[in-house]
Amino acid sequence: MPPTDLEPARMNRKKGDKGFESPRPYKLTHQVVCINNINFQRKSVVGFVELTIFPTVANLNRIKLNSKQCRIYRVRINDLEAAFIYNDPTLEVCHNESKQRNLNYFSNAYAAAVSAVDPDAGNGELCIKVPSELWKHVDELKVLKIHINFSLDQPKGGLHFVVPNVEGSMAERGAHVFSCGYQNSTRFWFPCVDSYSELCTWKLEFTVDAAMVAVSNGDLVETVYTHDMRKKTFHYMLTIPTAASNISLAIGPFEILVDPYMHEVTHFCLPQLLPLLKHTTSYLHEVFEFYEEILTCRYPYSCFKTVFIDEAYVEVAAYASMSIFSTNLLHSAMIIDETPLTRRCLAQSLAQQFFGCFISRMSWSDEWVLKGISGYIYGLWMKKTFGVNEYRHWIKEELDKIVAYELKTGGVLLHPIFGGGKEKDKYVYYPEVFNKLLSLASTASSQKFQSHMWSQMLVSTYGFLKSISNVSGKDIQPLIKQWVDQSGVVKFYGSFAFNRKRNVLELEIKQDYTSPGTQKYVGPLKVTVQELDGSFNHTLQIEENSLKHDIPCHSKSRRNKKKKIPLMNGEEVDMDLSAMDADSPLLWIRIDPDMSVLRKVEFEQADFMWQYQLRYERDVVAQQESILALEKFPTPASRLALTDILEQEQCFYRVRMSACFCLAKIANSMVSTWTGPPAMKSLFTRMFCCKTCPNIVKTNNFMSFQSYFLQKTMPVAMALLRDVHNLCPKEVLTFILDLIKYNDNRKNKFSDNYYRAEMIDALANSVTPAVSVNNEVRTLDNLNPDVRLILEEITRFLNMEKLLPSYRHTITVSCLRAIRVLQKNGHVPSDPALFKSYAEYGHFVDIRIAALEAVVDYTKVDRSYEELQWLLNMIQNDPVPYVRHKILNMLTKNPPFTKNMESPLCNEALVDQLWKLMNSGTSHDWRLRCGAVDLYFTLFGLSRPSCLPLPELGLVLNLKEKKAVLNPTIIPEVIAGSQEATMNPSSHAQLVGFQNPFSSSQDEEEIDMDTVHDSQAFISHHLNMLERPSTPGLSKYRPASSRPTIIPQHPSGCDGTPSTKPQWNMEFSRKGTGREQSPLEMSMHPAAATPLSVFTKESTSSKHSDHHHHHHHEHKKKKKKHKHKHKHKHKHDSKEKDKEPFTFSSPASGRSIHSPSLSD
Amino acid sequence: MADTAATAGAGSSGTRSGSKQSTNPADNYHLARRRTLQVVVSSLLTEAGFESAEKASVETLTEMLQSYISEIGRSAKSYCEHTARTQPTLSDIVVTLVEMGFNVDTLPAYAKRSQRMVITAPPVTNQPVTPKALTAGQNRPHPPHIPSHFPEFPDPHTYIKTPTYREPVSDYQVLREKAASQRRDVERALTRFMAKTGKTQSLFKDDVSTFPLIAARPFTIPYLTALLPSELEMQQMEETDSSEQDEQTDTENLSLHISTDDSGAEKENASVLQQNPALSGSRNGEENIIDNPYLRPVKKPKIRRKKRTCLCCTPQTKIK
Repeated sequence: MPPTDLEPARMNRKKGDKGFESPRPYKLTHQVVCINNINFQRKSVVGFVELTIFPTVANLNRIKLNSKQCRIYRVRINDLEAAFIYNDPTLEVCHNESKQRNLNYFSNAYAAAVSAVDPDAGNGELCIKVPSELWKHVDELKVLKIHINFSLDQPKGGLHFVVPNVEGSMAERGAHVFSCGYQNSTRFWFPCVDSYSELCTWKLEFTVDAAMVAVSNGDLVETVYTHDMRKKTFHYMLTIPTAASNISLAIGPFEILVDPYMHEVTHFCLPQLLPLLKHTTSYLHEVFEFYEEILTCRYPYSCFKTVFIDEAYVEVAAYASMSIFSTNLLHSAMIIDETPLTRRCLAQSLAQQFFGCFISRMSWSDEWVLKGISGYIYGLWMKKTFGVNEYRHWIKEELDKIVAYELKTGGVLLHPIFGGGKEKDKYVYYPEVFNKLLSLASTASSQKFQSHMWSQMLVSTYGFLKSISNVSGKDIQPLIKQWVDQSGVVKFYGSFAFNRKRNVLELEIKQDYTSPGTQKYVGPLKVTVQELDGSFNHTLQIEENSLKHDIPCHSKSRRNKKKKIPLMNGEEVDMDLSAMDADSPLLWIRIDPDMSVLRKVEFEQADFMWQYQLRYERDVVAQQESILALEKFPTPASRLALTDILEQEQCFYRVRMSACFCLAKIANSMVSTWTGPPAMKSLFTRMFCCKTCPNIVKTNNFMSFQSYFLQKTMPVAMALLRDVHNLCPKEVLTFILDLIKYNDNRKNKFSDNYYRAEMIDALANSVTPAVSVNNEVRTLDNLNPDVRLILEEITRFLNMEKLLPSYRHTITVSCLRAIRVLQKNGHVPSDPALFKSYAEYGHFVDIRIAALEAVVDYTKVDRSYEELQWLLNMIQNDPVPYVRHKILNMLTKNPPFTKNMESPLCNEALVDQLWKLMNSGTSHDWRLRCGAVDLYFTLFGLSRPSCLPLPELGLVLNLKEKKAVLNPTIIPEVIAGSQEATMNPSSHAQLVGFQNPFSSSQDEEEIDMDTVHDSQAFISHHLNMLERPSTPGLSKYRPASSRPTIIPQHPSGCDGTPSTKPQWNMEFSRKGTGREQSPLEMSMHPAAATPLSVFTKESTSSKHSDHHHHHHHEHKKKKKKHKHKHKHKHKHDSKEKDKEPFTFSSPASGRSIHSPSLSD
Repeated sequence: MADTAATAGAGSSGTRSGSKQSTNPADNYHLARRRTLQVVVSSLLTEAGFESAEKASVETLTEMLQSYISEIGRSAKSYCEHTARTQPTLSDIVVTLVEMGFNVDTLPAYAKRSQRMVITAPPVTNQPVTPKALTAGQNRPHPPHIPSHFPEFPDPHTYIKTPTYREPVSDYQVLREKAASQRRDVERALTRFMAKTGKTQSLFKDDVSTFPLIAARPFTIPYLTALLPSELEMQQMEETDSSEQDEQTDTENLSLHISTDDSGAEKENASVLQQNPALSGSRNGEENIIDNPYLRPVKKPKIRRKKRTCLCCTPQTKIK
């Protein structure tokens, strides 16, 4: 190592082998961001940044920074003009002349482009040459101040302007601007080191209109008028070292509310919403108290700000000492449904203040630790606030989601080391194991707060595990090995038999570990057996070949005496045991009741056991599992059990709600033998209707939330009932119509908008396909009389919404959905015009999304090219980023066609259009680009779309692709294809899994070479223009770290074992409550799949730059030949690298140690 | 003329009643009055020395006199009503005349002029009586606390309640039914009206009137309508709040009563203090303890401080 004993260089080094090593040849200590002009009319920003850096190597000649979109006017270093090059290869991933249209090619090219500017690899779009006058200065490792003047004109990402088109000044119009983006998107609005691992202190200055407020990170030091008194400047200081990616800004004519309980907390909202803001934030101080107590440490920042803005990019975005929320989270005291959701968002963002903002991460592989810790303490808050039932329900929900996702798309790997990483460096993330880990770690984390060593503010997986063992002394290695070495979930199949002679329960537990996304589990497994004499826990040891487990029973024989039966929680209850098997003392059995294994359990037990479990087991998860199981047992006994649960007021309301739907399903299965009124009708009447006139519902009183939710849900479930003709019974429809008719909210303290919306949903649920006589045109005359009644209600509701709008327009949303249902079922002519008008900009976002969903559905059902074009146009031009993202998302979920499908929509023009969209049209928004890739994948798959004509003969590679079985491009395709049929179409695990080209074929590499080479060569070309030799350690092979930039939702990784069979590894970061949290949002992760060639190419490009340069520009046509030569070299390089042991834990730690100059 | 006031009074009351009734006796009454006025005009003309006058000019003068007197009456009535009386007094007339630019002082002299002619009293004509048909029962006399100059009670039928003996509908079911169908009718009528008067969309191409949907109209600021409770809801909320009080947190109620519009930092400050006096008081005895950077005053630019701005800068720092 060179003498880098200067403080900044040492700062990041911890003792031991896993310290943080900066990938940059300098250390950033302080940054000034000054925006002195913001023009709302033109949507432009002018300002400068000043970075204070300490070189850590003597011959630093180039400084690479991140910057996108910005126009850079001038760069000075220590007041000397500096030359700079601005190049962003992600703007256009594959170059124009290329006719390639396959996703493999794209993903490789994109990975190369992204890693070429990845800050965690020490790269950046902006390359500044240190003036020769300063070389000596640099050699002494003295401080450099880089001053960059920049402007931003009509930014498409990073900063979002909202400028309502009304009369008045910008402040009167409620115009505002805020920073946004997925993960590290700060580079979109000012030049910086856009990495989570480069921390520095900040000075932020924003000059805005006098009527506006600028909210940013850190402490507001002062506000000063400009000389003309028409503007004022907000000066912020952030003394806690913070990553640029955690810097944010919101400017607007905000109303200011100082939190009455905590004066250092300030809330901001748009004009007129102050009463809502007061109500919404009135709860926040309790969350603060809770977290501070649980972590036994104070909130790290000296202040906290919440800003509620319109057209939010995401509902919640946490930045250092401030959070930006969607204004749509605000609500008044009358709203029931939104309240818990909003509180969850607040709590979630606050948890991220501690972990994520204050404590940052070393590399992308460590993201899961922060997401996990914040998610875990958020979970604790949930438990305390909403109760254990809600908490367990939430855990179950999350577990189900993860299991469903992994089984669909393959395993999730959260801590990947690409290429030759050691096994212990790989960690799987999942919340349940996490609970254990974190309870041990919370003390450890609190110690971290006291230390002010910057590097300790970065958490890594290794450091995290170390602190666990330090604090608790426990070795969690087996746990980690089980979950970390393998990705995927466990699939248990359980069944049992009772051996009467031995009084033993013979439990058989099988595992499916061959289907994708699964793994084999070895270790302890808890089984709870409820017997007549009580509930007993057994811990089984799951081993390689042990399928059967004998569990001795405690209860001797039959219930002779009438005796109360003790439950797990100590309660003793009377049970009617007549349904039981006379020979067995077993009431029910549960496998892994605590959900401590990431698993899916399919357990076989008799219907009466499920019924007992539903009635008497007190755990809500068990109740829900039994409800799910009872769907398969449509018997009067099941019916009775469900009805009893429905009526039981002590029962958790969510269980009762799912019992409603189960009852509807059972009733439909039992339709021929069903006696009495339609399911739930008499129950509803008893609970919610007047005593004297049972057909009239009581006037609304939603004081009891449990019964409110039940009242909302029951009609929706009832509408799913079908008679023998598979029609909704007339009685049910009349019943629902009466509920709507007699709905009276005048005496209610709460709004009934959600209730009414659900009534419309119920109406929609009752719709069955129209009987169509040879494709007659749908007109009013042949309208079904029932449908006429439904339509009447929908019309009235929708029209009343125009006069008396409901909160968040829930009713409009339900009406639009209902209309689409009517269209789809052939009652009303299918026509997208109505939805298109509601989808326009200017409607409330919920309405727009509902309308767009209908258009997407129409596009699919009617195969309309026009509508598809309309949607694509909106994806490109809509002013709201969230809506654009959602359209792509919905198109991916409900695609107009898929890869293996013949469709008139699938044509060359569409391919080109989508290609252009992901290639260059979405460069300003990571999330959007991944969305576009998702869609492209869903529509065309990984390889060249089939609708394209045969490629020209000149392109050898494309020709090859069409040739034979041995062809490399086809091999992965076959595998992918087999998966796709059953799998989530948007799973880009395939992409990720697409392996190192060396392993599959040598030729394959050439496919990638064109563009990869293009962007690489371009960079190296520019590098060569600078006279000094390249800075070591800059262009090193840096695998997983390139991810940040390309992962919108869920960073994914890949393990790089060379094999032709794709690994289904994908990172999955949970989003806490995540209303948005659909697995479909998982995005592809091309960088992780980047073949070694890309990286080695890069690494060599500087060494052999002359050659490359030459090669690229002059011998393009003979490329192939040259490449072979190179390839061997590269291969050699990469192999060499693979052999070298990793010295550092995270990829971000880099390999600069091996760079020539350093090791010299 | 001494009887001007009386004439005016009669005239005013005449116009009042006359304007209300146009029955036959009323016509007679008006004709008689006009005839008297004509006589007056003629005598005045004679006084002025005219031998004869054309009928048209007499008519014109009569018209003028009548309107003059009517105006005096109308104005006097206004004055007297202004002081909450029903009968004009002399002072009302005087003020009226002054108002109309008439020199009141000349009036006594004019009344005593030598050559004045005395005309015979107009023939007594029957005051038009209010038609019998409308009177129902006897007008109630004023109770002692009402002065007699106050207007009489209206006809009894206008205030006397007539008990009916039909049982009112109190059956819950019927009431609910009625309320529901009434609301539904109102809503339907209203939305149909809105649909008829504005743009509509239709679900059926062949029919636009059966299920008319009011056309979707984008808002410039969509979140306002979506988030803010409608006036109806606000009202309803206040009602329910006052009627039934439960352990809902105080802050919630408070937030409702604070006006939506402009609330600058100062006001905010105040409301915050109000909301939580106990907490803020316990922390610090002082009154203004909230030290939030966003509530601090904006500083003046620094460079000017050298000369003039010192004055306005220093107090601020003191405040701080």
